[in-house]
Amino acid sequence: MRSDFWRNNIVLLTALFILAPVGLIVWQSFLTDAFFSARARPTADAYSFVLSDPGFRDALKNTIILSVGMVVIAVPLGSLLAFLMVRTDMPGRKWIEPAIFLPLFMSPMVLAFGYIVSIGPSGFWSVWWQQTIGVPFWNVYSMPMLVLVVALTHVPHVYIYVATALRTVPSDLEEAARVAGGSPLTVALRVTLPLVWPSIAVSAVLVAFLGFELFGLPYVLGDQDGRLVLATYLYKFNTLLGRPAYQLMAVVVIFIMLATLPLVMLQRRMLRSAQRYSTIGGKATRAHLVPFGPWKWVALAGVLVWLYAVVLLPLSGVALRSLVTTWGPLVSIRDVLTFDNYHKLAELPLIRRSIVNTLLLAFIGGFASLCVYVLIGLASHRSQARGTRALDFLVLLPRAMPGIVAGLVVFWIFLFVPVLKPWVSSLVAMWVAYTLVWLPFGLRLVSNSLGQVGRELEEAAHVTGAGQARVARDVILPLAKHGLLAAWLLAFLLYAREYSTGIFLMGQGNEVMGTMLVSLWNGGNIDVASSLAVVNTLVIAGGIALALRLGVRLDA
Amino acid sequence: MTILKKPAIGRAFWAVIAMAMPVAGLAQIPEGYPAEYADILAVAEAEGSVVIYANTEHAAVEAILADFQKAFPKIRADYIEIKAADLFSRVSSEAAADALKADVVWSSAMDLQYQMVEDGVAAEYASPEKGAIPEWASYGDRIYGTTYEPVVMVYNSKVVADDQMPRTHAGLASWLTENRDTMKGKVATYDPERSGLGFFAVNEDAKHSDDLWPLVTAFGAVDTKFYTATGTMLEKISAGEHAIGYNIVGPYAYLRAERDPNVKVVVPQDFTVVLSRLAIVTEQARHPNAARVFLDYLLSHRGQSVIGNAAHLFAIRPDVEGKATIAGLTAEHGDRLKPVAIGPHLLDAIQPMERLAFFRKWADALKAGK
Repeated sequence: MRSDFWRNNIVLLTALFILAPVGLIVWQSFLTDAFFSARARPTADAYSFVLSDPGFRDALKNTIILSVGMVVIAVPLGSLLAFLMVRTDMPGRKWIEPAIFLPLFMSPMVLAFGYIVSIGPSGFWSVWWQQTIGVPFWNVYSMPMLVLVVALTHVPHVYIYVATALRTVPSDLEEAARVAGGSPLTVALRVTLPLVWPSIAVSAVLVAFLGFELFGLPYVLGDQDGRLVLATYLYKFNTLLGRPAYQLMAVVVIFIMLATLPLVMLQRRMLRSAQRYSTIGGKATRAHLVPFGPWKWVALAGVLVWLYAVVLLPLSGVALRSLVTTWGPLVSIRDVLTFDNYHKLAELPLIRRSIVNTLLLAFIGGFASLCVYVLIGLASHRSQARGTRALDFLVLLPRAMPGIVAGLVVFWIFLFVPVLKPWVSSLVAMWVAYTLVWLPFGLRLVSNSLGQVGRELEEAAHVTGAGQARVARDVILPLAKHGLLAAWLLAFLLYAREYSTGIFLMGQGNEVMGTMLVSLWNGGNIDVASSLAVVNTLVIAGGIALALRLGVRLDA
Repeated sequence: MTILKKPAIGRAFWAVIAMAMPVAGLAQIPEGYPAEYADILAVAEAEGSVVIYANTEHAAVEAILADFQKAFPKIRADYIEIKAADLFSRVSSEAAADALKADVVWSSAMDLQYQMVEDGVAAEYASPEKGAIPEWASYGDRIYGTTYEPVVMVYNSKVVADDQMPRTHAGLASWLTENRDTMKGKVATYDPERSGLGFFAVNEDAKHSDDLWPLVTAFGAVDTKFYTATGTMLEKISAGEHAIGYNIVGPYAYLRAERDPNVKVVVPQDFTVVLSRLAIVTEQARHPNAARVFLDYLLSHRGQSVIGNAAHLFAIRPDVEGKATIAGLTAEHGDRLKPVAIGPHLLDAIQPMERLAFFRKWADALKAGK
């Protein structure tokens, strides 16, 4: 059949897109040196080296704790937040929405640094606490704190999935339940929750997986005590033995990949009956909000506390840092206040270029990636073929590579595949790497929304003689547009802050803000890094607020 | 942006054109350079640009690039900043694929830079400025030291009084042991396992004196915090979260001290390791002449003045004056300064077995203090 032909081709291409880098990593893991080096010999020593290293077990343990902590905290909170924002009459929803996305596009390193400035041992919130209340009870570098920070900053990831799903759930079912006497809580738990369960399950798996490749936050907050997670442990092999030991890094990546297997199986179990939950039906519905009574103020307070913890605390730290030359309990803020850091920013010609590049890559590149994800999503849409089912597992693999490794591998592929060689260190290569790295997230979001389009609508179109392409164009895509817009927004946010993926693909003139930020910061130029971070935040927050106002509304 | 690969024939064509043109009006050769340099300069200008891979941060390098542009307006400097270990990965991968974009590689990771010479990435080029830098600062006409950066101690004078702060390695060890309760968690240094630069510096310490090992034991006693990035350490010292930073690279430390009067720099009075940013012209360079002009500029009196006085990276040419120069440092600290000479022995630092042995000794010394 014709339609199977293109479907199979896309599945094959996707598999190749994913398996080429993965294959390269597997091969590298069995060598003694870089695969392109004349010194490389086949061996399995890298495996025994990593497995017998006590550091590996510590890193694995820390990673599992983080990952589990993230699921346990971020998934319920993210789902609850989505429910409050989409389904209830909680006040202030309009202006809370852009704020929710703030933690998503701040570079995790900057975020972590913001926490150090605000609630670290010398942080200004800590100092204030000490002066008014007593010795602070928290230690920003401790493991529980790391779990908490990591979990709370990943709430938006869950939110974006669940909110998207909720927006397509017709409220007539809830209405019916309420008319039948159900309290808001009962309705939420018994009616709404089951309807969006697939999205929650998917986001839980993704968040768990994100926990496995977490880099920025543990890199900064765990640095001083040498508390490593798999991704930072892996990074250690860049320098441990002198020259970068790619084979050891490859082995760690393979372990992270192995972790995807149980996660995917778990997800399958949770989604066994997901087909039942297509929620965009043929009947027109109008969304009704659940009246929350006085509880809406409690809900608002809860959301504000969360926003305070993940936005205000770190951002105020970074913002303060951008206005001073130094900080801490030993200086009085008035003595060190300055606008110099912003003047310096204006003096660097690179900054403007990096802002433009970032917006280009995030906006247009994000859209191009979305198109790729939609194609793949359509190819596997409602397909029970074994090939397309295997994609479920495959699409998670790219995320097993921390950004820097994915970037390196894409760089190698461009470098050593003759057809691709002219494109190495171009924006194209960078875009390919970004698309690969964020494939699991974008694709899940896309196929989630495609899955919610009622099967009967597609069938009706088929019956009236529409072909596969026509159904996609006239039925599925228009109906799934909320989810697609959400995916674009997510891509925009993630691309805008991405740092490590582009390191090896950078050429002259394509600096992006994320890269600038981290290199300024690593180079000790924290003055300029903080002011750039503030500018970065303002630019992107402005962009989001504008987009939300101008019709790129998720609930349009 | 794709840097389009000019076909070899095209390049040769431009070279011929450039050489055929009357040289006088085109290029102004720097003073004291041989007459043939006019040819190099003319071809360099025809090449039109030089691609530099380096790990010196943009804010510091901006002054250097701007002045280079002023000196050679027809040669555009394309500067790509990458962290040291990633820089090595990128250069060695591109070189293996015969697609190296960099004409000049300039990095503070001395050991990895020398590995590139060993791997045949560096081209031979006798710079006319070679005689103006110390003899130990170049090797085999393939690799050149461009800066003179002391590795120093840093302290926050609001936490540790000026007259208390020890000035030698042995002094620091005993002072920390005496004050182990107040100094708990207050000392910061590089983690040699996770920072290539950190290992390199502390390994040099170990070569110069056995005083390092009691100091490491003292680090264990005060529960020292180990970092991967200089920026974080200096930031936390400045904020008072830490009191003392050990083995901080000079330029960063002095820059910080300039901005924050509480941060003070100590150049150790027993011995001070001095590192250098090493530059090579690559064998595969597509703009080989522009690369030479850039290298010569870095070593020139003009370039070194900018490196020392504007970029604060410490000039290596003895005839450049100012605070951040070899002359300024030597006047103050004389032969306590121990520059790391450039040569094949740099490779010892990246032998896995030597490193693992060092880490074991390091861990044992730390544990002895706890």
